[in-house]
Amino acid sequence: MEILNRRDFAKKALGGGGLLTLLTAFNLPGVASAFSGPEIVVPTNKFLNRPDLGDALKSLYMTYDSTTPYPHKFNETISKHQLRALEFFVSKNLDKEYAEHYVATMKPVLLKIKEAVEKEKNPEKALIALFDDNPCAFQLFDHINVKPGERSFPCPYKGKLQDCKYWLGTFKAIEWKDVCDRWCIPTWNGFAETLGIKIKVQPSDVCKVKLA
Amino acid sequence: METKNRPDSILLTAPADKNQSCMSRRDFTKKAAGISAVSVFALMSLPELAAAWMNNEIMSRDDMDDGLKCIIKTYSTTEPYPLKFNEGLVRQHLRTLDFAVRKGVDKENAEHFVSVLGPVMERHIKPAVAKLGKGIFLWGIFERTGCSYQLYEHINITEGERTFACPYKRTLEYHNKEVGTYSIKWEDMCGKWCSPIWNGFAKVAGVELKIEPGETCKVSVV
Repeated sequence: MEILNRRDFAKKALGGGGLLTLLTAFNLPGVASAFSGPEIVVPTNKFLNRPDLGDALKSLYMTYDSTTPYPHKFNETISKHQLRALEFFVSKNLDKEYAEHYVATMKPVLLKIKEAVEKEKNPEKALIALFDDNPCAFQLFDHINVKPGERSFPCPYKGKLQDCKYWLGTFKAIEWKDVCDRWCIPTWNGFAETLGIKIKVQPSDVCKVKLA
Repeated sequence: METKNRPDSILLTAPADKNQSCMSRRDFTKKAAGISAVSVFALMSLPELAAAWMNNEIMSRDDMDDGLKCIIKTYSTTEPYPLKFNEGLVRQHLRTLDFAVRKGVDKENAEHFVSVLGPVMERHIKPAVAKLGKGIFLWGIFERTGCSYQLYEHINITEGERTFACPYKRTLEYHNKEVGTYSIKWEDMCGKWCSPIWNGFAKVAGVELKIEPGETCKVSVV
């Protein structure tokens, strides 16, 4: 069987591989990038230019190699620590202020996003900022399903709280509903208010946040 | 404490393959256990510890796609600074400590963290220390646990000592400079979070620690 590299394949696929044909193809920006070799892609690709990927992959490996007492995922620690903190502040009756503090400390950032949302009259931008482009969200939620005006994602806390209660036995102040009512909903509503948008939160195994 | 500001310091950690002090978890455990097979067997004979140790099940995982996508998304974000896999967790710790300090409950916050994870120390680490010596304590609280390997970018391992780049400094300094809504300083992370929780765990396990905070933090058993 003939083995082609990407460049040869591109030439063949274009039917004869004339320079003119290739030039035509490269004139279509979208198509051109699909035909680009590493010498074009690598210098401009942010991910491929990171020199620190090794440690990230090692962390990922160690995480997914930990399957007992339950399979760990990339959001294991962030979800556990959020639950731990909520457990503590609920026990101190400070949970309302804890959620308000999150919103307050993000206010300058949220106000900048608000400006952009209002300028473009595009509330979708607020959802993008809160979920899709926010490391506190995309490093927390397994995957975020994106629909216009709506984001949904599996709740990262439900199973983790069960794990903590079962394996540690020291999480006693909060139940799953508390996480929705005392953390997720107040913080999202607080963010939305600061951003000048209205949202509807439907907590569940797969939580849904919609523009209202 | 070293306070020299080097925003790129986190990027300067030596890659594992060029660092003589770096070992795999398995290699380290062998070393920590005194290299002899008998000692390793002794470690494995602690059933709970062995079960949670190194089970080589990664190839059977069918849910790694989300993790890989998260890494790609994270490492494709380079503005305002290059994000790392621990970004969300670091921000969570900073924000929680800031609130605890404002409310005057930072000491209790650290104690609470130690108490909720106390059963792990009691069940796994304390018996391991009794059986294998205090060096195993560092393995237990650093490279063994997700709370550390999902937080520290790179843990340098030598016998009785761990060093790693402080994960908090860069993010906190950026936040304090550009957002300005936290009351805590970098020193607070060392004094009101890291040191109290490590010392708290050490106390449960019957070990004493020497902590040298800095851009590269050093923790050793004494």
